[in-house]
Amino acid sequence: MRGMWTIARRELAALFYSPIAYVLLGLFALGAGMVFLVGFVPGQDAAMRTVFDAVVWLLVFLVPAVGMRLLSEEFARGTVERLMTLPISEAQIVAGKWLAAVCFLVVMLATLLLPVAVLEWFGDPDYGPVFTGLLGLLLVGALYAAIAVFASATTQNQVVAFMAAVFINCALTFVLFFLPQSPWVGPNAQAVMHYANLNRQYADFAKGLIDVRHFVYFVTGTVWFLYAAVKLLESRRWR
Amino acid sequence: MIHAEQLTKWYGPTLAVDDVSFTVEAGSVVGFLGPNGAGKSTTIRMLTGYLPPTSGKATLAGHDLLTDPFAARRRLGYLPESTPLYPEMRVVEYLHFVGRLQGMSRQERRQRIGVVVEECGLEKVVRRTIGRLSKGNRQRCGLASTLLHDPPVLVLDEPTSGLDPRQMSQVRDLVRGMKGRRTVLLSSHLLPEVQRVCDRAVIIANGKVVADGTLDELREQAVQTAPSGGWGPVLVEVRGGVDEVKAVLRGVPAVAEFDAAEADEAGWVDAWLVPEGGADVRADAAAMLSASSLLVREIRREAPTLEEFFIRVTDAGRGDGDRDGGLVPEATSPGEIIAKGGG
Repeated sequence: MRGMWTIARRELAALFYSPIAYVLLGLFALGAGMVFLVGFVPGQDAAMRTVFDAVVWLLVFLVPAVGMRLLSEEFARGTVERLMTLPISEAQIVAGKWLAAVCFLVVMLATLLLPVAVLEWFGDPDYGPVFTGLLGLLLVGALYAAIAVFASATTQNQVVAFMAAVFINCALTFVLFFLPQSPWVGPNAQAVMHYANLNRQYADFAKGLIDVRHFVYFVTGTVWFLYAAVKLLESRRWR
Repeated sequence: MIHAEQLTKWYGPTLAVDDVSFTVEAGSVVGFLGPNGAGKSTTIRMLTGYLPPTSGKATLAGHDLLTDPFAARRRLGYLPESTPLYPEMRVVEYLHFVGRLQGMSRQERRQRIGVVVEECGLEKVVRRTIGRLSKGNRQRCGLASTLLHDPPVLVLDEPTSGLDPRQMSQVRDLVRGMKGRRTVLLSSHLLPEVQRVCDRAVIIANGKVVADGTLDELREQAVQTAPSGGWGPVLVEVRGGVDEVKAVLRGVPAVAEFDAAEADEAGWVDAWLVPEGGADVRADAAAMLSASSLLVREIRREAPTLEEFFIRVTDAGRGDGDRDGGLVPEATSPGEIIAKGGG
């Protein structure tokens, strides 16, 4: 546990040392702010739902940008050799890296509290859906972060890691949105694809619903990709 | 303390390390010597648990690197080749980071960081960002991080590569100072480095151990296995004409070959005799010279040098006569050995 926190702390510090953290925060705040302003007109519901629906797409690209360097950079710099000869397990390394990405994500999502404050100032927002929406975004981000760590474990090239993570994210969102609409896909396959579609799993959170099934989806997905990342890291020893 | 038992490593179809066994006793500083690409780093990676061997076994302080890795790693300070560090961290932050991963408490870390910073001479740069340090200071920072948890075993992979001579010397002094306190395995492709720092050397070539012993033992082995059949040429310094000297030396028995250089300004002549079958011809040469009334300044026997031995065993290990990774300048004729002042 302690090793995991140590790794996470170093990783967060490294992230904020580089300009990438601020660029990503800026991009996120800008994107979310623009969507908010477009919908911020008198007579509309004082709700964050449109913002959340847009933000969940932003994360497809932003989280891989946060996570691409997590392991790739260790491979490229050779620091992984030092790390893997210290008394710390691969699982702790991977979990620490992932935790750092999730912590960054929390900071990122915290910027959404600003539009919420604006809503409070001008209207009377319903806090239930705001809370569940943020919770859902965190779960989506945690899964994307696990995917990014996994992608980062495959290569020492950060660009490749970024592309691989975006590819997987797109497969879980765009592809699983369009593919079931094809006449070639049978009803059973369609059901599987609907279930695996990440945005469908998120939709209820944005509406203000908390469903255990959605939790199961995000948690198992996250654990699965983290486990795969640990196995990839371990396999480096054997290659 | 460090124990390699028939370590073998295949990378796919390539045999990188072939049945390597050696032991490093507690408190000794042992050089792990070999040309580039001989399998040094691969062996070291197996000894530190970074890579598992294809077959064989490595133990550190009695702990197997595969079955009991954490216990072994806690007793190990390992500096990988080219000293990987995090350039965005400050020296003191990096040391705290490594200390935390070694499971040290805050108090322990503070105390030990003070010690290693002083030991490695990092006082002036401890608040600096690692990316802005000189290569020498980076090396020291890496070394400090390996010493942090006061490990009984230290494995350093080419710790002086890329340093200037002064920095090299500082790192070597630091390592030599650990003799008796820590068990050190230092890999290097530089024989002079091992000669300065280590008591013992394990020489590896083409993935195999080709020599293993104390430096004195290796020198002895160098004499015994010399292609000349034993001792090298006898060097004589006398005052006189070159022809006169040659005339006298011609009379020395059991000499396969001899020659003399031109006299220097003061009239001293360097001459050398290559004895037949490695015999000792010093006494005969001295007798002949004193009978001739030439003034003799020196009669010295050249031992086959460790350098020669090193080149010989590592070339034999390669088996193909390919000498691209030359270790030391090669001395081919007796004259060159004399010019180098070797011995």
